[in-house]
Amino acid sequence: MHIPDGYLDPVSCTITYLLALVFAFLAVKRAKLEGEERKHLLPVLAAAIFVAQMLNWPLPGGTSLHFLGAALAGILLGPWLGFLTMTLVLLVQTLVFHDGGITTLGANLLNMAVVAVLTGYYVYKALPERFGAARPFLAGWLSVALAGLACGIELGLSAQFLYGLAVTVPVMAGWHAVLGVIEGAATAAVYSYLRGRAPLLTGSR
Amino acid sequence: MGVMRAIKGHRKALTVIIVLALASPIFGVYLSELVGYHEPLDLAAGLLGLEELTEKITWTPLADYTVPGLPDWLGYAVSGLLGAAVVLALGYLFLKLLK
Repeated sequence: MHIPDGYLDPVSCTITYLLALVFAFLAVKRAKLEGEERKHLLPVLAAAIFVAQMLNWPLPGGTSLHFLGAALAGILLGPWLGFLTMTLVLLVQTLVFHDGGITTLGANLLNMAVVAVLTGYYVYKALPERFGAARPFLAGWLSVALAGLACGIELGLSAQFLYGLAVTVPVMAGWHAVLGVIEGAATAAVYSYLRGRAPLLTGSR
Repeated sequence: MGVMRAIKGHRKALTVIIVLALASPIFGVYLSELVGYHEPLDLAAGLLGLEELTEKITWTPLADYTVPGLPDWLGYAVSGLLGAAVVLALGYLFLKLLK
């Protein structure tokens, strides 16, 4: 889902950068108020998500998927620290490994650190506790589906892309709505494991 | 909480991170090549006839999780360990700035 340089026009790049920067400003401000334990999970969770994203699961037909981790970050750390966790991952991916473009970093942050994290966080929070593992499952699934949708909208609105929203949205949203099922399963699995081992992490959110 | 204490407190998580990084070439290199991996986004862009602007120009020697001079599988694992270390270091640095 990492948009490379050249896929978005300068206007789209600027707008998405501005939106990401505003969110980053708010996130840093709000993150200061978070508890120490939760803050100290940020580097470790970011590193774990970074390596987890390197595990591509190949699918028949020449595609594959990997864990995104944004919903998990939102569930465990909340929207602000969750955003900062994903931002850290994306910064290193972009700057050190050229995974995603520099001009499109704002859009990538918007999709994977804002849309995906917020979706994961709010879906998880909105569902009652009796839903059990369905909460992180739906959080993970919808986080990827909506991030894919956001990505499709950005590409469709960009003058750089020859095709408009009518093509980009179904392609990106459709793909990620399917791939998101695995994200949901992975999020639920990690969540259930942590709930057994470190209930504090999953309990208070 | 100091960095050393934080690392000790997350020893298990750090072990998992190292194991995942070492295992990552199985998925990211071997199995990917087996099925001819492409990102859905790249596939979509291909359909639309769009080219990546910075495919040939790059700002990092470690582009696409490779290390110059190392075979792909080893470069991928080294990239995983290196990337995780950079993420951790920047993360702790950021926490210091957050105070």
